[in-house]
Amino acid sequence: MHIPGYFEFCCRVKTLAGHNALESIPEALAQLQAKTPLILTDKGVAGAGLIDIVINAIKDKMTIGSIEDDIPPDSDLRVVNHLAGVYREKNCDAIIAVGGGSVMDTAKGVNIVVSENADDLIKFCGAGAIKRPLNPMIAIPTTSGTGSEVTLVAVIADHEKNRKMLFTSYFLLPDVAVLDSRMTLTLPPFLTSSTGMDAMTHAIEAYTCLAKNPLSDTHALAGIELLSQNLLNVVQNPDDQEGRLALAKGANLAGIAFSNSMVGMVHTLGHSIGSVCHVPHGTCMSILLPYGLEYNLHKNSEFVAEVLYPLAGPEIFAKTPKNQRAEKVIEYVRKMNQDLYDATGGRHSRCFKEVLNRDGKQMVTKEDLPKISKTALGDGSIFYNPEELDYDDCMMVLNAAWEGTPLNRNKIKKG
Amino acid sequence: MGEYKDITPGKKRIKRLYTAIMLWFVGRSIQAAAKIDDDVKKEFEELPDQFLFSLGVTPDGPRMLVGKDVNGRVKYLGSNPKGRKINVDMTIKNLEAAILLFTFQESTAISSCHDRLTVDGDIPSACSVVRILDMVEVYLLPKIVAKLAVKRYPQWSTERKLMGRTKIYLRAILGF
Repeated sequence: MHIPGYFEFCCRVKTLAGHNALESIPEALAQLQAKTPLILTDKGVAGAGLIDIVINAIKDKMTIGSIEDDIPPDSDLRVVNHLAGVYREKNCDAIIAVGGGSVMDTAKGVNIVVSENADDLIKFCGAGAIKRPLNPMIAIPTTSGTGSEVTLVAVIADHEKNRKMLFTSYFLLPDVAVLDSRMTLTLPPFLTSSTGMDAMTHAIEAYTCLAKNPLSDTHALAGIELLSQNLLNVVQNPDDQEGRLALAKGANLAGIAFSNSMVGMVHTLGHSIGSVCHVPHGTCMSILLPYGLEYNLHKNSEFVAEVLYPLAGPEIFAKTPKNQRAEKVIEYVRKMNQDLYDATGGRHSRCFKEVLNRDGKQMVTKEDLPKISKTALGDGSIFYNPEELDYDDCMMVLNAAWEGTPLNRNKIKKG
Repeated sequence: MGEYKDITPGKKRIKRLYTAIMLWFVGRSIQAAAKIDDDVKKEFEELPDQFLFSLGVTPDGPRMLVGKDVNGRVKYLGSNPKGRKINVDMTIKNLEAAILLFTFQESTAISSCHDRLTVDGDIPSACSVVRILDMVEVYLLPKIVAKLAVKRYPQWSTERKLMGRTKIYLRAILGF
């Protein structure tokens, strides 16, 4: 086990997990001395009837300040300011965020504005700019992927100035995370697969990158096992409630792991592809994960090899010679992507040239790769990658990931 | 009861002095490298005018400030952050962690990964600062030591390394 000379670990999010976890929200809010929550969500979640389930679970025991379901897929400063106005107008004293990454990020942004009584969110942008506890917030994820319910990060776009603002602070951790199987039960198979691989990437990068520590490792390994055992099964059997809850727990564990030991180049490149080409984050993670593992293998093969046990199970682990386990992990991840591709009728992409928008057009073209590489050099996760990553390295990895061919390992510059 | 002398914590004067000298020298070397190395120059060009970063030891340890003036020139600005708007603030949590960093037992990236160094401020700019620090370390240190300080030792030409090293040392010592 790798034990760094010094490390820090913090997860003060209370987790409520179960098939009827939503019913415990009033009590959790009472413990936080809040009684009038503002519920934030998006049209998709509301349209799927998930907000009705939440309201039915809590309405008899508390007053709901307001339900706002206008959050767009790309969190925006204007929306944050509007929702902060609603929070104040309705005298709310807590936020319940129901949704995926965008809703969680927006809710965190609203919480900064209302708690700090701020008029300009930019003052709190960056790492560590929020210095004191925010108002109570409960996070209810509706995908099993982002782990936003236990992370200390928020990304808010400022479309007017064409920039994305990153906020990191321990005070951005929600107070309570609610994992209820009803919240992910209607998630379509292709979204279940890509968000599940997003969570898998969190866990594997947390375990194999530079800031790993024994506590985050424990969460990462448990997350990998739960995700690996349940992802394909749930994609094939979307009504499997036990499997859904297991995925939610796996994503939660992965979220705790990467929130403390951070992630590496799969996220460095994935964030940039998302920013430049608007490819969904989970899709980027699925495609890039085997490439990140290949690129760093000369530095961290020992840790990658250890991932095989929770990923593939004891039988495959025991059958694979020790010196081949790391390679087996990469092969196994590629096979998972192929199985998910088959199970979703080709909607789970295996390489970037396969990623199409609603009009059937390629979302990432080869001409986009230089801009993506340049953007990647400004992503904070680059610090945590075991091997150095410069512009040329990014281009090499992106070209291979676009074509869907394995990396030519002879071309990797080894430090 | 006998009389006991109060034991006061040591001030670690030598470590503090060593760290202060290193920060002073690295600060002046960054100023020099920004003039003579194209890659360092390019990194600074990407940063906004009047950009200022600080690297120091908390709570009241030595510190260095480096920034761009209104004309885009890179300057070492001493050690006093009072009254200045810092864009990227890199803080080493204690003197022992600073010693690990400045005796090159730990790279800047590893120091950050092991939670000994915190970075506050704009993240893309912080990435640039870390790349600048890495390049300056490659100039200042012999390969055997620099390899410990950076993730991957760059494949620079001998001319770039030797000429650059000589010029940076001269400029840093003479202060221009």
